[in-house]
Amino acid sequence: MKQAYSVTAAELAKRGVNDVPPELMSSANLVYSSPATLAFNSPGAQGFGVKRAGLAVPGSVMLLVAPACCGRNTAALGNEASLAERFFYLMQDDTDIVTGRHLTRIPEAVKEVCDACPEKPSAVMICITCVDALLGTDMERVCRKASDFAGVPVVPCYMYALTREGRLPPMASVRRSVYSLLEPAKKDPAAVNILGFFSPLRDDCELYALLRSAGVRSIREISRCGTFEEYKRMAEANFNLVLNQEARYAAADMEKRLGIPSVELARLYGPDRISKQYKLLGQAVGAEFDDSEPRSRAEDAVAAFRAKYGRRTFAVGEWLNADPFELSLSLIRQGFGVSEIFGTVGGANFVYVRRIAELSPGTKIYSNLSPTMMFYDGRDADCDAVIGRDAMYYHPSLPGVPWNDERQPFGHAGVRALFEALGDAFDGKEAAR
Amino acid sequence: MKSMLKRLSPFAPDQSGAVSALFEFGGLIVICDAGGCTGNICGFDEPRWFTRPSAVFSAGLRDMDAILGRDDRLVAKLQAAMKDSGLAFSAIVGTPVPAIIATDFQALKRMAEKRTGLPAITVATTGTRSYDQGASAAWLELFRTFAAERLPVEPGTAGVLGATPLDFPCLNAGALLSDTVAKLGWRTVRCYGMGAGLDAVRTASSAERNIVVAPSGLAAAEYLKKTFGTPYEIRCPWIPARTLETLSGLAGRNVLVVHQQYAANAVRDAVLSTAPETRVTVASWFMMTPELMREGDFHIESEEAFIESVANGGYDAIVCDERLRVALPRSLRDSVVDFPHFAVSGRLIEEG
Repeated sequence: MKQAYSVTAAELAKRGVNDVPPELMSSANLVYSSPATLAFNSPGAQGFGVKRAGLAVPGSVMLLVAPACCGRNTAALGNEASLAERFFYLMQDDTDIVTGRHLTRIPEAVKEVCDACPEKPSAVMICITCVDALLGTDMERVCRKASDFAGVPVVPCYMYALTREGRLPPMASVRRSVYSLLEPAKKDPAAVNILGFFSPLRDDCELYALLRSAGVRSIREISRCGTFEEYKRMAEANFNLVLNQEARYAAADMEKRLGIPSVELARLYGPDRISKQYKLLGQAVGAEFDDSEPRSRAEDAVAAFRAKYGRRTFAVGEWLNADPFELSLSLIRQGFGVSEIFGTVGGANFVYVRRIAELSPGTKIYSNLSPTMMFYDGRDADCDAVIGRDAMYYHPSLPGVPWNDERQPFGHAGVRALFEALGDAFDGKEAAR
Repeated sequence: MKSMLKRLSPFAPDQSGAVSALFEFGGLIVICDAGGCTGNICGFDEPRWFTRPSAVFSAGLRDMDAILGRDDRLVAKLQAAMKDSGLAFSAIVGTPVPAIIATDFQALKRMAEKRTGLPAITVATTGTRSYDQGASAAWLELFRTFAAERLPVEPGTAGVLGATPLDFPCLNAGALLSDTVAKLGWRTVRCYGMGAGLDAVRTASSAERNIVVAPSGLAAAEYLKKTFGTPYEIRCPWIPARTLETLSGLAGRNVLVVHQQYAANAVRDAVLSTAPETRVTVASWFMMTPELMREGDFHIESEEAFIESVANGGYDAIVCDERLRVALPRSLRDSVVDFPHFAVSGRLIEEG
């Protein structure tokens, strides 16, 4: 019987980023589907996929123009009644997907959508799929025509799963779409946008207080904009803070169209590196950030966990609010063990692989998407706790946290919350699971 | 507009039906997509996927695979995944991407069989049709491929054709169907795809009779009749108890039953058996067998047509999945008798 393929951090670091084993590369294999992989095997499957993300614009509705299969799981996304009422479908048949004749129906469909809404929507987001990717549809043009016909802004959202590993993956593209309705506005030097997520940062994130200490009065996130008017004020920002690489393209577009520059911060789980990053941010924006208090609270939380539960050894997954390699490195540097990482190795995170190889050379690295994961048997794993929804799938009997809440952890508050959640899980508190 | 859904969301598509039919037979299933369809099928339409390890894969197609039609790469990946896996066969299920680029599924089948040395099944689903059409094609292909040998008939053995969670929304529906069929006097019951596996398919010719419980099983039943002379009957022997319990309240009313046709007919029979004065009409969004339609029964062509038919039909009770409630006139929304249909709502029930 085959075994799940893994490589140690030492072996992988030795091979280098240009010689990653094909077993870890999804493009070289069939893509295995297990409940551990659902969130990242499909751009519309769970959480904020393209469909739900496209509705981040307040007051907008979505028209999915696709074969029925592409809209099927929207019923699950729409369990929340208010969300269900914002989805509409124009279904393509066999002839449509070959000839593209559905395109002529879109303006009328947009009008019908507007007529069906109790209030005129702020925008109609049109979600298109692999079909139109292959047909080479000029959706910008179709949207302009639909907008003229229906008298409402119409914005394309490209749910092109075929381009997931391309220059502009669907989740990067949709971030550009949701900010595309912003129009040039007079700048407010005391306004900042936070880009990257479709749900807000945790309320206790120190980033808010740090920005306010530097004189920032308006901190806007799209998910906290209650109205379309509020959303439009995001165009006033002095700069954008990009907290997720997938928002880089949107930020670049906003810089070009609206003249808003951006600064990028990474989500980190090592308090020392978080502090360093804040220092660099301060230098970039001409302020000095004092993060000593939140840092101290984060370090206390780590220390309290370690004191109570010892130097635990974790399995770390990638279906979570972290880069699994960065999180693993942070855990190792804080005195914990990491025996397994389920993650996708790439140029951006290989730097962490090299550091893990130095500190924990035997850490095994798996690809969730490898066909050999069909044979994964966690009974031999040398871990006693898990972080990540996928890791919890592989080790259902171990204590751990899914750590993929929609409220986004960031900075020292994220570190503190993670270790508090882990503590809850070890105490057997239901909420942590 | 006929092709629009403004109140409902799309029902299970053909590719989900195909995977659902093939799910339990120990094959490696490749969904010929970029990843999104697999996410929909596994994450929404196949409830068994959450309960057991399974060999369902996405082809992981990328734009250049589609543009260049790189079937050889797909088959090479399939061969690598099959190697030493112990799986009995491979199955390749279509989606809109191969439909657009006109993938030759027959050629894929031959290439896969040659490279793996094992049987391969291909189902040319397109993602634009309904789940029962995909399931029907998959059942037919499965029996064509594996039910090759004519065996002596084993008296008292019945095969159940067409059972999937999409029509029978219980994880133990196979056992429930088998039990009810056994109570009809059959000693051995093989519920294909929900309990009975590939060995049962291989010996399908030994069944004394097949019982077709959903329209998706009919093509395979006809194939087995034509090939081996196995007679079949259409009968949906199980409907959820909680639906059955509420039917007595429908006596004397004008009732519309909406489900897969055989299940809806079973409800009609149940109502009329105790209250023959009741007027019962059957409608379905899915495949309907014309011979089993009674006067007034109709196929639902679109959401718009459904709304209109219900509004003009004079019905005072609707037996349907409660998900359809939002498409009913407000005056009828309290008159719904819930008849769960996973292909409509993606909702499982527990029973038995």
